[in-house]
Amino acid sequence: MSFVKIDKLVKRYGSLSIFDGFDLAMENTDRLVLIGPSGCGKSTLLRCMMGLEDIAGGTIRLGDETYVEGAENGKMKLNRKVQKEVGMVFQHYTLFPHLSVLGNLCLAPVRSRGIGKAEAKDKAMDLLTRFGLADRAEFYPSQLSGGQKQRVAIARALMLDPKLMLFDEVTSALDPELVNEVENTMMALAEAGMPMMIVTHDMFFARNIATQVVFQERGKVIEAAPPEELFGNPREERTRNFLRNVLHIEG
Amino acid sequence: MDLSFGFLLEYSGVLFEGLLNTLKFVSLAAVLGLVWGFVLSLGRTSKSSAIYGLTTIYVEFFRGTPVLIQLFWVFFCLPLFLGIELSGFASSIIALTLYSGAIISESFRAALKSIERSQFDACTALGLSAGTRTLFVILPQAVLRAIPNLLSNVVSLFKESALVSAVGMTDLMYVGQNIANNVARPVEILTTVALIYFAIGFPLTRAVTFVEGRLLKVVKA
Amino acid sequence: MNYDFDWFYVKKGLPKLLEGLMVTLELTLWANAIGLVLGFLVALGMLTRIRLITWPLTAYIEFFRCTPALIQLVWFFFCVPILFNVWWSAEFMGILALGLNLAAFNAEAYRASIQSIPTAQTDACTALGLNVVQRIIFVILPQALLLSLPVLITNGIGIFQQSALVALISVQDLMYEGRYLATQTFRPIETLTTVALLYFAVSFPVSQMVTFVERRTSRLLQN
Repeated sequence: MSFVKIDKLVKRYGSLSIFDGFDLAMENTDRLVLIGPSGCGKSTLLRCMMGLEDIAGGTIRLGDETYVEGAENGKMKLNRKVQKEVGMVFQHYTLFPHLSVLGNLCLAPVRSRGIGKAEAKDKAMDLLTRFGLADRAEFYPSQLSGGQKQRVAIARALMLDPKLMLFDEVTSALDPELVNEVENTMMALAEAGMPMMIVTHDMFFARNIATQVVFQERGKVIEAAPPEELFGNPREERTRNFLRNVLHIEG
Repeated sequence: MDLSFGFLLEYSGVLFEGLLNTLKFVSLAAVLGLVWGFVLSLGRTSKSSAIYGLTTIYVEFFRGTPVLIQLFWVFFCLPLFLGIELSGFASSIIALTLYSGAIISESFRAALKSIERSQFDACTALGLSAGTRTLFVILPQAVLRAIPNLLSNVVSLFKESALVSAVGMTDLMYVGQNIANNVARPVEILTTVALIYFAIGFPLTRAVTFVEGRLLKVVKA
Repeated sequence: MNYDFDWFYVKKGLPKLLEGLMVTLELTLWANAIGLVLGFLVALGMLTRIRLITWPLTAYIEFFRCTPALIQLVWFFFCVPILFNVWWSAEFMGILALGLNLAAFNAEAYRASIQSIPTAQTDACTALGLNVVQRIIFVILPQALLLSLPVLITNGIGIFQQSALVALISVQDLMYEGRYLATQTFRPIETLTTVALLYFAVSFPVSQMVTFVERRTSRLLQN
């Protein structure tokens, strides 16, 4: 049985239909990368996975538990226990600017999981050391570079021991020279065995980190395959066109 | 034209007392206004259309009418309305508080609205309860963001406070006009009063710009 | 509440109140005329960076922005006749004081909007071979005016409210007539409420218009 199973997802924005019966499955050894033209629902899918969006129909299962059950008129059912096992990092940092790095990392564990302050601090320092950011513990977000902010955001999510990590275009807003440090961090996380769903425009990174690449266009899966296959020998015409455009821009 | 500023020394004591009264009015109304303004801003961001409607009408009204008429209304009409006697001091404080509350609530409301939705998303992603989110993430940021506007509101309050002289309160303005009438040397005395107001208003206004600059760095992460 | 509401006197006094409103509107319009034109000139002066010009202008702006309008008004009323040996009416003094006050605030609005126009626009003008004067008249000015429009309107309506102060130097505007009527009829609640509503009836639509204008101009200037 799949680790993540999205079944017949229906999502609308007013009269605009984003997903109309969308299916996707993923194993807990998977690192799923979603690629496709802008505005076709990739970020929306991740947001649905995080429980940030209202779903009009369909179900999402995580492990052997029902996570989200869609229903019309905002009557969607969300299993908060399962939601706590999903972590997400966003495109625009969203660190809490009025708290230090340490403060950012410890807020949720202490206030929401009831973990002791000392214990949380130890864990936070551990993570920061692993990320090479230990000396920034008392810094405030405004004093960090974009890459550092994103890595802190990743650490903040990891403090809660998620079973699945979602990355929504986390390098798209960064200066090019800062992208590497974040992607390396994600790579290390991948090698440690974390299942992930990633939305990215960086095709080279996608190829390196993914176990499955899903090309999505206008709320539908056009093609899904392991990276060597999808990038090396795409089956669909539309996949080929997209890759040609994107890789041409990327150089 | 014959100007002489010497006599002013005689009146420096009275002027100083007038200034103290002005500052008393401003500080009291500022503190009360901050509390009242905060409460109003909760109403302005409430989901209930009744509460939102009422607070919006209140704020629009106090922003859309002269402070002078508000002051006169409280001074002349409120006692009749409530059937109790109100001292000039109480009326002035009430009127200034009602006015400053309205403009302060706008500062709080703007600050709340300016917090990006992604902050809320991050809280959901971290599994924070609504209470934790409001208390530890949203509120601190709203207060920080509101501070420059709040300071500017206090400056406005300081300037409007001169109106209490029109209902007989012995603030700086009243004292100045009084002396001018008695001594028939309006130029010297009124210029001095204006300069005293400036001596307070100018640093306050500069403080707003300064605070704005420092806060901008913290708030935009 | 021991008060007999009686709107009869208000109805009788309404014509007088409306006369006062006319005076208020006249004051406001003239003050705005001064405020808009003078404010712009002052803003230009502030941008010249010639100390001989910017320093006195800064003093003027800061003084009018940091002190109560009441003291400005009273000062004009009592001191200008003495200092300059002229005998102008209270209304004229009111317009002068309010106009100068408004000009100071408007100067800031103009300056902020001129400075917010991206330097890329100036560069584009240079690249197209436009000289400084052409650049100002055809590119910078129109955009600055549009950008500052919401603030200018807001300031303008602010002066409308501040104009009530002229009642304290015995100009027979709406505020003055209202107070007079209130004391004459012993009906402060009805008269003062009516006066407040009259002020509100003029301010509110204008302030709503500001939001509308803001939206349209921001869309236009987005490029």
